[in-house]
Amino acid sequence: MAVDTSALDTRARLREMPKQELVLPVVIIALIIIGMIIRPGVFLTSDNLLNVLTQASITGIIAIGMTFVIATGGIDLSVGSVLAAASIAGGLLAQYGSWMFMFGAIGFALLLGCINGLAITWGKVVPFIATLAMLTIARGLALWMSEKTPISLIELNILQWFGSGRVLGIPVPALIFVIVSICGWVLLNRTTFGRRTVAVGGNRSAARIAGIRPGRIIFTVYALTGLCVGISAILLSGRLASASPVVGNLVELDAIAAVVIGGTALTGGKATVTGTFFGVITFGLIFNLLNLLNMPTEIQGIVKGLLILVAVALQRRD
Amino acid sequence: MSDAGTSLLEVSGLVKDYPGVRALGGVDLKVTSGQVHCLIGQNGAGKSTLIKCVSGLVEPTAGEVRFEGVPLPVGDPNASIARGIATIYQELDLVPHLSVALNVFLGHEQRRGPLLNQGAMHRETKALLARLGDDGISPTAPVTSLRPAQQQLVSMARALSHSVKLLILDEPSAVLDDVEVEALFGVVRRLTAEGVGVIWISHRLGEVGELGDVVTVLKEGRTVATELPPDTPLDTLIRHMVGGRMEALFPDRRPSREPTVLEVRGLTRPPDVHEASFDLHEGEILGLAGLVGSGRTELVRTVYGLDPAQAGEVRVAGRRLAPGRPDLAIRAGLGFAPEERKSEGLWLDWSMIRNTSIADLSRFRRGPFTDRSSERREATRHLQSLNTQPDAPERPARQFSGGNQQKAVLARWLLRSCKVLLLDEPTRGVDVGARSEIYRVIADLAANGIGIVMVSSELAELLGFCHRVLVLREGHIVDELDGATSSEEDVLRSAVPVHHITKAG
Repeated sequence: MAVDTSALDTRARLREMPKQELVLPVVIIALIIIGMIIRPGVFLTSDNLLNVLTQASITGIIAIGMTFVIATGGIDLSVGSVLAAASIAGGLLAQYGSWMFMFGAIGFALLLGCINGLAITWGKVVPFIATLAMLTIARGLALWMSEKTPISLIELNILQWFGSGRVLGIPVPALIFVIVSICGWVLLNRTTFGRRTVAVGGNRSAARIAGIRPGRIIFTVYALTGLCVGISAILLSGRLASASPVVGNLVELDAIAAVVIGGTALTGGKATVTGTFFGVITFGLIFNLLNLLNMPTEIQGIVKGLLILVAVALQRRD
Repeated sequence: MSDAGTSLLEVSGLVKDYPGVRALGGVDLKVTSGQVHCLIGQNGAGKSTLIKCVSGLVEPTAGEVRFEGVPLPVGDPNASIARGIATIYQELDLVPHLSVALNVFLGHEQRRGPLLNQGAMHRETKALLARLGDDGISPTAPVTSLRPAQQQLVSMARALSHSVKLLILDEPSAVLDDVEVEALFGVVRRLTAEGVGVIWISHRLGEVGELGDVVTVLKEGRTVATELPPDTPLDTLIRHMVGGRMEALFPDRRPSREPTVLEVRGLTRPPDVHEASFDLHEGEILGLAGLVGSGRTELVRTVYGLDPAQAGEVRVAGRRLAPGRPDLAIRAGLGFAPEERKSEGLWLDWSMIRNTSIADLSRFRRGPFTDRSSERREATRHLQSLNTQPDAPERPARQFSGGNQQKAVLARWLLRSCKVLLLDEPTRGVDVGARSEIYRVIADLAANGIGIVMVSSELAELLGFCHRVLVLREGHIVDELDGATSSEEDVLRSAVPVHHITKAG
């Protein structure tokens, strides 16, 4: 009996597994092979691969939060601006040390995420518009609070360790990205909150009838995304050793693209943190390859766009 | 009234099959010009499907529709309109923010060159509305600013703008008050005098006698009586609608117990629910009967808190519920199986297990995590206790039959150990064969002390095993009947609004 159920379970799980979770690892392996062929001895080094992970970490952490937002059928366009605003908010506290910077950055990003959540649940503004408004508000706040000038963080050694330090040879941002991804996976797949998030995205009226309060869930996912943006702000500012009001442009689109090619449905109700992780890595590898080949940035944009089209078109075949 | 009109519409042997359901099983209908043909029947008798076949919205499986002697192409609404068949549905299909004139000419706008010819459309709209006896409606007014009765006239004006020969009205009086209904009668009489044939579908049997020239009765997708004279006694019509009672396999009534589990007092949510009060005892099955639009569904949704009540209170086991808070209602012991099972009751892509456990996830919490093996064990146990198709509860709900899906919804509330279950049309979309199984499950739940409130359009199932039946009409509870001793005629007599019971007795 026990054997029987687990066999059925495995089969059901295989059936349920979105195609992307199989497609993307194949794409990633293919990219690695291509890299080995065209740049032998440069591409497949642990330094270069860790570099890929590090570069992807800022967007990647945000994409994990974005996965929850999109799971509810929402969208958060404000993450790039909030990233800048959080950096500046931390920068204003920089004189009190690294920990106060982190407190300021995370606190401010969380606050703006909560405002997004309130606008959507309590204010009943659709997510696209609410976060579009926050996109311009947060950018404005970043420029205003900083008086349009970057804040130097050169004194903050602990903060810089978060941006460019290493633990056992692994860059700290890469490590934090992996940790956030694992936490996101557990939260989505192994907690009641995760189940309810997908329930609200999949069928909001059924969720209400089953006693879930959709507003609470929706508020929480925007706050959670704010938290992720705050973490990214720390890593980014630490790496740059400065807080700039103009960072984070178009980060929202990179994050959304990673979530979508990972296989999370924009309509909500179907989400995969694993897919998002692979999506982030896929984009990271492509940029890395194009960089190693000295391709200009405009080519990178074209390749990224084509990849999004192909991945989402494949998703529709399911 | 009908001065030997020519034959307009001839429907013969019309059959429409949906997957698993035969909506029409051989319908015959003849309509002549200048005649009002009343079409009556219970909910689900096939009236709507019939008119959709005639208007081309639905393609019949077999049978023929001839219009003026020529077969009508099936499944082509434009062909029907071009031949002069206009249908006005219960849900008016107007574009709310466009003007009256633009709605009337929607799809065949008059142009001058590439531009809309507003002037001509306004003039013609004015003329059409005058022909319908109401020139008080401005052609430039947006449709949202009009009362429902005026919107209906706009729909009719649209029909007339296509030179209509046959006008089909689906429950036109449902949204109107008595004066407006009288006015509508006038409009219909004027049109029939011009030679237009009219099919009038209504629940209000009184209207049949006042307006109709002939009556056809549908029951379970078949024509049971046609070409009846308009002065057919009401009792005869009701008997045709009800027909011989289906002796389905209903479980025995087991006695309910004394303690009251649900008290509803003066519950009001205009315009659908007015001053509803009733009690429900442990182990009792209480039926809610009424026509579509009588407020049955709205009543249970308000009790559950899905729609907030404006006045009145609901108590579960003595505890008062906060209005508009289903989560608190569930905590107090309520459970609800909605009518729209697929869109409101289930996550079709989720496994049966997940669908069953969703209302009580906190129970499976171990520290911060969900204990998935105990979730699977508990959900499977409850699904099995309801005899749900046993193979692989990990399979998505989509792959199961309607009856099994309904059992997953019921199992959800068993797992939550609720005290009161509200069931809205529990056998909707369930095969006739699987229904008695659902009845048995419901009766067993009641035997275990759960109080059941059950909304149903099937009078046979309400009277088959409910202890008591409350009859709703236009948002009010108008009657309470004993389930064991009452007949379908008793229910219908209370449920049908007999506003115009002048000639028919």
